[in-house]
Amino acid sequence: MMNARTVLTAAVGVLAAAVLAGCASTSNHATLVSLAALDTPTPVLPRSPGEPTVRCNDPTASLRPGAQLPVPGAMPAGSFMRTIERRGSLIAGVDQNTLLFAYLNPFTGGIQGFEIDLLRQIAKAIFGDPGRIEFKAITTAERLPYVQEGRVDIVADAMTVNCYRIRKVDFSTVYYDAGQRLLVPRNSHAHGIADLAGKRVCVTKTGTAKKYLDAYAAEHRRRHPIPDAVSQRTDCLVALQLGEVAAIASDDAILLGFAKQDPYTKIVGPRFTNEPYGMAISKRHPDFVRFVNGVLAGVRADGVWTSLYRKWLGSVAPTRSPPHARYRD
Amino acid sequence: VGRQPRTDGATIDAVSEIAVQSSEQQRFVWLREHLATTPGRLRLLALLLATTALIFGVATTAAATVRRNATNAVAAQTEPLLFEADGLYASLSDADATAATTFLRGGIESGTRRRRYLNDLRSATSQLTTLTRQVRNSPVAEAAVSTISARLPIYSGLIETARANNRQGFPVGAAYLRQASDLMRAEILPAADRLYAVEAQRLTGDYRSGVGSGTFAVVVLTGLLALAALIGGQVYVTRRTHRLLNVPMVVGTVVLLALVVWTLAAFSQEQDSLSSAQRKGSDPVEILSATRILTLRAEGDESLALVAHGGGDQFVADFAAATHALGPADGTQRLLGEASMLASRTHSAAAFAEFRSTLARYRAAHRRIAALEAAGRFGDAINLAVGSRAKEAPLADELNKSLGTQIASAQHRFAGAAENATSALGGLWLGIPLLATAVGLLGLLGLFQRISEYR
Repeated sequence: MMNARTVLTAAVGVLAAAVLAGCASTSNHATLVSLAALDTPTPVLPRSPGEPTVRCNDPTASLRPGAQLPVPGAMPAGSFMRTIERRGSLIAGVDQNTLLFAYLNPFTGGIQGFEIDLLRQIAKAIFGDPGRIEFKAITTAERLPYVQEGRVDIVADAMTVNCYRIRKVDFSTVYYDAGQRLLVPRNSHAHGIADLAGKRVCVTKTGTAKKYLDAYAAEHRRRHPIPDAVSQRTDCLVALQLGEVAAIASDDAILLGFAKQDPYTKIVGPRFTNEPYGMAISKRHPDFVRFVNGVLAGVRADGVWTSLYRKWLGSVAPTRSPPHARYRD
Repeated sequence: VGRQPRTDGATIDAVSEIAVQSSEQQRFVWLREHLATTPGRLRLLALLLATTALIFGVATTAAATVRRNATNAVAAQTEPLLFEADGLYASLSDADATAATTFLRGGIESGTRRRRYLNDLRSATSQLTTLTRQVRNSPVAEAAVSTISARLPIYSGLIETARANNRQGFPVGAAYLRQASDLMRAEILPAADRLYAVEAQRLTGDYRSGVGSGTFAVVVLTGLLALAALIGGQVYVTRRTHRLLNVPMVVGTVVLLALVVWTLAAFSQEQDSLSSAQRKGSDPVEILSATRILTLRAEGDESLALVAHGGGDQFVADFAAATHALGPADGTQRLLGEASMLASRTHSAAAFAEFRSTLARYRAAHRRIAALEAAGRFGDAINLAVGSRAKEAPLADELNKSLGTQIASAQHRFAGAAENATSALGGLWLGIPLLATAVGLLGLLGLFQRISEYR
């Protein structure tokens, strides 16, 4: 009996030791922590709401300039131009990705293009020096708020003057008449939207082209193109080159830059919308709007507009005359 | 006709029932006969002793085999595979970050960046080859590997198109880069993540079977059973024969005890080593790899935001998310907190502290770049990021290099401890069957010495 008890005691002791040893085991804590960290999702940004469609009479009519522009370097006291002059440079909000109009030259690191040269004309009229200008790269969504909040003096960024936007900001007279057209591969037989029924057509998510195509689809229920919306303009060229879409619908000004980057594409069909481009200025500075209109009237009259057009767009688009300025007073 | 087989079946059943009954009766008769006499009881005891020794030998061998297989799998298969999956994930993340940085300077790409990108692709391909060979038994891992294999050539094609356009100064180059990065982040990296998760789970499983207390219990219980039979036999023999010691049985008891002690000691040494392989080796490898991947993700975000020239809000937000997941540079919270704790556990706190101070400087540089970016001064921001007197890129390289070194030394620690765990179980595969047989034979020898005295 004594023996049995000893054995039992020993057994309990060894078993307890074994269980204790088993407790000093492993854990998958590190795995769980690392997997949780690696699973960190990319935050979803709130999508900017599209612009509502509103009606008005001729939004392109702007403020009439004074009879004479002030002398460069001597802006009238109390004017917004004087404020800019004292600051030392004009601050302009621009895009950096639209070839020919406003784009970064990767070799010089500077921004250049048709819109950039027009803005330099305004700096020249204020300071007598076209170099006194600071370019701020902004996104499409930032254009209106940046002007409204005064973070930039002026925006020139392929911006269509429309009835909604003139409620938020003032626009200069029209400096470029753009319109929506189609870009297709060179071997495509499409000549217009009607030829693209059932095909995918690339548009930007918030652009005018998407609105147009959606309206077209509602009207032609049976035969219409399928809009393929991307977030940035240049993504459309990628989609076309990869064969994901049959065409791009966008402003011809932007399509010119695309065609320049890919010689195996062509712009086809008539314009299906008019997109008059104006420079956006805060509603607090009507004097600056009149001043800019004066500068634009000058470049239209003295041939600078035409020579800038030839410099940037002459090789890709037919020559044309500057758009007529329209004034509301 | 249909009834015939059933009648037959019933007859056969009845016959076999009678057979069973009679054999059971015979068995009881046999048992009764044996229990009636001392030599009979001794024979029964011998049978019991042999059986318990056999059970002990087989069960303990099985327990040792389970542990040996698990330890071998951890050391030679699952952990190295996890390391490979981690490496693949890191190579792909590094390719993404490096490609984006390469394009920041426009058409003029840096030779070292280009080489680093190509190296990343090369190591990703070779890691993928290794993993393809080894993941056969998991459909999830197999699907992940085939996703990566299918998408990687498309990714590198998009990068080369971006490069060709960039060399001509075309803005569409940046769009191709964005497309490539989207593909990497939306499809390739998540597949690498799934692969990593599968391998990590497998490693966890192997660690568990390598240290399971069930195997301990098996050794102890079957050992006790055999011990009880041996001791009980000796008590009975002593009482019946009035001899104090039965030498073979005493030697058998000692051998049995020694074998149990040896096995348990080996198990607990293996367990200690395996636990330390995890705590000081594979745990830091996992945490530091996750740190490296998130650091690279933030680095890629920074470059992609700069390449987007103001259109990169998405990347700015993602940089913030990756930075948040890493935690503050003082190493008190989240992933860095975990890594900091592991560093002090593995006596590598100095290396990690240096990493943290570099990270703090990197984040300070990032804040200056973000400020320039917010002001629309992309040229200055890019110069600060990757220019000739850049502040940020060298710091990012330093972070990457430091993490690489720390991961390598953690893997080294793992290999050492895993080696110890494997060698702890070294002699058991031969020792257990041999000695358990010896225990059984010694016991039988002792009993048969007595049985022979009754003839």
